[in-house]
Amino acid sequence: MSASAVFILDVKGKPLISRNYKGDVAMSKIEHFMPLLVQREEEGALAPLLSHGQVHFLWIKHSNLYLVATTSKNANASLVYSFLYKTIEVFCEYFKELEEESIRDNFVIVYELLDELMDFGFPQTTDSKILQEYITQQSNKLETGKSRVPPTVTNAVSWRSEGIKYKKDEVFIDVIESVNLLVNANGSVLLSEIVGTIKLKVFLSGMPELRLGLNDRVLFELTGRSKNKSVELEDVKFHQCVRLSRFDNDRTISFIPPDGDFELMSYRLSTQVKPLIWIESVIEKFSHSRVEIMVKAKGQFKKQSVANGVEISVPVPSDADSPRFKTSVGSAKYVPERNVVIWSIKSFPGGKEYLMRAHFGLPSVEKEEVEGRPPIGVKFEIPYFTVSGIQVRYMKIIEKSGYQALPWVRYITQSGDYQLRTS
Amino acid sequence: MPYLGSEDVVKELKKALCNPHIQADRLRYRNVIQRVIRYMTQGLDMSGVFMEMVKASATVDIVQKKLVYLYMCTYAPLKPDLALLAINTLCKDCSDPNPMVRGLALRSMCSLRMPGVQEYIQQPILNGLRDKASYVRRVAVLGCAKMHNLHGDSEVDGALVNELYSLLRDQDPIVVVNCLRSLEEILKQEGGVVINKPIAHHLLNRMSKLDQWGQAEVLNFLLRYQPRSEEELFDILNLLDSFLKSSSPGVVMGATKLFLILAKMFPHVQTDVLVRVKGPLLAACSSESRELCFVALCHVRQILHSLPGHFSSHYKKFFCSYSEPHYIKLQKVEVLCELVNDENVQQVLEELRGYCTDVSADFAQAAIFAIGAEKREQRGDKKSLGDCCQVSPTKILHCRCAATKRVPHIWLPCGIARTYTDQCVQILTELLGLRQEHITTVVVQTFRDLVWLCPQCTEAVCQALPGCEENIQDSEGKQALIWLLGVHGERIPNAPYVLEDFVENVKSETFPAVKMELLTALLRLFLSRPAECQDMLGRLLYYCIEEEKDMAVRDRGLFYYRLLLVGIDEVKRILCSPKSDPTLGLLEDPAERPVNSWASDFNTLVPVYGKAHWATISKCQGAERCDPELPKTSSFAASGPLIPEENKERVQELPDSGALMLVPNRQLTADYFEKTWLSLKVAHQQVLPWRGEFHPDTLQMALQVVNIQTIAMSRAGSRPWKAYLSAQDDTGCLFLTELLLEPGNSEMQISVKQNEARTETLNSFISVLETVIGTIEEIKS
Repeated sequence: MSASAVFILDVKGKPLISRNYKGDVAMSKIEHFMPLLVQREEEGALAPLLSHGQVHFLWIKHSNLYLVATTSKNANASLVYSFLYKTIEVFCEYFKELEEESIRDNFVIVYELLDELMDFGFPQTTDSKILQEYITQQSNKLETGKSRVPPTVTNAVSWRSEGIKYKKDEVFIDVIESVNLLVNANGSVLLSEIVGTIKLKVFLSGMPELRLGLNDRVLFELTGRSKNKSVELEDVKFHQCVRLSRFDNDRTISFIPPDGDFELMSYRLSTQVKPLIWIESVIEKFSHSRVEIMVKAKGQFKKQSVANGVEISVPVPSDADSPRFKTSVGSAKYVPERNVVIWSIKSFPGGKEYLMRAHFGLPSVEKEEVEGRPPIGVKFEIPYFTVSGIQVRYMKIIEKSGYQALPWVRYITQSGDYQLRTS
Repeated sequence: MPYLGSEDVVKELKKALCNPHIQADRLRYRNVIQRVIRYMTQGLDMSGVFMEMVKASATVDIVQKKLVYLYMCTYAPLKPDLALLAINTLCKDCSDPNPMVRGLALRSMCSLRMPGVQEYIQQPILNGLRDKASYVRRVAVLGCAKMHNLHGDSEVDGALVNELYSLLRDQDPIVVVNCLRSLEEILKQEGGVVINKPIAHHLLNRMSKLDQWGQAEVLNFLLRYQPRSEEELFDILNLLDSFLKSSSPGVVMGATKLFLILAKMFPHVQTDVLVRVKGPLLAACSSESRELCFVALCHVRQILHSLPGHFSSHYKKFFCSYSEPHYIKLQKVEVLCELVNDENVQQVLEELRGYCTDVSADFAQAAIFAIGAEKREQRGDKKSLGDCCQVSPTKILHCRCAATKRVPHIWLPCGIARTYTDQCVQILTELLGLRQEHITTVVVQTFRDLVWLCPQCTEAVCQALPGCEENIQDSEGKQALIWLLGVHGERIPNAPYVLEDFVENVKSETFPAVKMELLTALLRLFLSRPAECQDMLGRLLYYCIEEEKDMAVRDRGLFYYRLLLVGIDEVKRILCSPKSDPTLGLLEDPAERPVNSWASDFNTLVPVYGKAHWATISKCQGAERCDPELPKTSSFAASGPLIPEENKERVQELPDSGALMLVPNRQLTADYFEKTWLSLKVAHQQVLPWRGEFHPDTLQMALQVVNIQTIAMSRAGSRPWKAYLSAQDDTGCLFLTELLLEPGNSEMQISVKQNEARTETLNSFISVLETVIGTIEEIKS
């Protein structure tokens, strides 16, 4: 990969920040970016990769900003995009929200960060934990030339500093599974998959060595425990700290963790499972007079579990007016700016079935343009439950000093891209 | 933007920077500097305060230093002499006890990009390379590359290169990767950094210590390494196996490419690799980042060209979701088309039908084309072929070709429509019922191409057509409808009446292409249904010959009029050509492309742009670069057309067919040519007829036009006469050619050598060469 320069532009395409790393592409080339983008958009041929003469623009959009990398080489596209996303991630860790305002307010730090993230077009230190050790928002302290270099900058284990100390040594493990679902208008399930992630919050002193045990089917078969309940993980990906060779050999997940929050691993299951919340809907549109919506939601998971914060958003025509609702549980709200009705149910026990009816008026004059048919979306969260049945069997923590540390585990299942098409 | 002009701003800032009170207050001083940087970012010329900024660099505040150095890097090329004043401070900072300051100063100094700075930075860089802080070493290593770039194309400093090679063994992973990057830049002229066995093995062992950028970079450098034995090859593959599962898509792609290239000679290993990346690629295709998702989809398509059906069992992953951006939906539709098989055809077609009525007209049209399994880009080609016909009235016979043979390059991926015609026609017919203009026009165009390729569906199409004319307004759609009515008019009861409407309104018709199509169609229909058409054909011919302003339409009218005078049999002979050509699809259907044909492009911008688009981009880049040096083709053109019409078409067609793309301006040195020539075997030998004398310059220029370079050539008239030519296509394949005229012989002997044995491209290359030589021969005689 090699990016000549990186730009942060506002919505109108004016550069807020620019950093010329290589100097082989004129900085003024960025002026062509916005016109090109608009032109392509009109042609319906917009792509995240645009070219003008010899320059390629690889861009991503984040809230009201464009991040653009320019290059004149036949670069590696996925790496450039990953870098831009990494940049956003780093900025977000610094300013919480990344938008035009926060760039303007923090522009000195933005420049400082861009200086460390990349040199001569090559990514350098991109780990925000490490960057935070030497680029801080309160850098006003006068340093009298004796300040030390953070040890991580020169460390062998690049993701963890030495000499971390905690009064209480703890690890929090979050097993999060999100369900992606796509259901056709006729009720057939087109796509159903589970994306699992295991996130760790590490408060451990020193350089601890961790080992995580899961009810992994391959491991159980290896060790002859195939009778126990196990899960077949597909497409497992690990954080850089995990020793991949050991995992390949004997499926042991062993690592020295970074400090604080990080995502240890992710996996994927494509086994078909019953949709956790099933929606049946009837949307009847009587032209020039009204729309009547009936939505039935059913919890298709264990009776003992409860789904929290359920939000079902049902599309309505953009010119609808005078909403009226009737719900068997929860409350419904019309959100005109998104053209949806949101039906929220605080707690939704498994096996239950609820109903919502909505009634909208339609103007007698019909508007010209045709509208799309947006799908019904569902958001929910089911604590203490995983669809796959994955379990953390143990977490071993070994450190030279021999302290005792406590691992805490939490399971949660949530909606990912959960969509049911409407007819 | 400031309210004041930039001059006033500069003046004001200058005053503030000089103000001793402000200088004394650290925070206020830094604020002023921040304002300077802010204006600089907005594009205001802030070079006026350079002197004051240089003074501000002498501070203990590291943030202020960073800002000032950033400023200096931007304006140093404009104020080289003033920038030299800053060197002193920078040099001092390079020996600061704080490694952060040392690194910062060194990095900034190397980025000054102004002439004359080299002599000052050389020593600090050398010190930096041996610094005990890895932070400084990282900066110094890349500084070497920056220094080399400043020098321009000066000779390579051998000692420095050696030092960098030895730093490949550094403790710090980023230093190691930076060394590779730096060496690559410095040794660019000599083919980049050399990866020999010890280096390769060292890098392989360090892989797990690197971050994702480093891993991706090293994987890319390892592409150069050629394992000595099969055993070593498989050891490497085993060692890198886990990187196929990395969480970074960049590393996964990099590893995939390396595997594909290393396993060049082992097709089963390549297939195995592609099976193993299926999971990661699919995951990337549904990644949260749209851009990464897009890139992954592009690569999926690339793989499908070689392994059709590779992702067939996962077809549901490519169903579009409502909120996805356009470019992803379009890619997914393309992928879906290529995945269709007997098991999933029902579901895929069902899904595609849903897209056909999408609110976005572009997307709906793409979906309809997909059902007809036609590639959209190809439509442009057809048009250009039509245009060629209009250019030269003398080639009117050629028009017949263009008018009948509608689809010269239809490219059918798996040909959903060809294999599952009935279902497709049914869906398309249902779509006509919607009476939406943008849908009808595309459906009719798809029908036109379908009947040409799958004659068995003609009946169904003919039944569906009546009534569509009311919903077609654009030129492409009208042409398609008129063509269908003309060719298959005898099966459509109301065909003459529909055409009559067009004839009635011909005066208000804006597109000449539609008029031309109408002429041909009506004449054709006249042959099968004379009674109903005679009158209006007369009217149309009259209009075209007497009133029409467009020359091409008039010519076409006159031509048909004269043709009719010759007799009806002659008309039939010329116009009643075959109505379909099912073999065409099979012929044009590219055989599954071997993995090796695209492996080298994997994980670059090429699959993301699409090969054809990339070729045009790199072509225009090439043209931009070498414009001034190109011979003046205009003077040449004045002396007569270089390539007669039909040949030109052929030459132009070649790049589009995707078979052969010669890279412009690929000048080889004579030495390199000689070495390569001697090391290769003759791949093809051929004899062309050749009479008399000619001017070698003409040949050289003609060859230049098609991107074949002349390395050496005998003087005109000498016998035996010899010429050596070279060309390179976009995949890097070299074609070396010798032309030989023996004394007293009326033949030219051609021998072609190729550095990669690939018959298809060789054949296309030879046909290009033949065309050019044939043309020269024609001009001469």
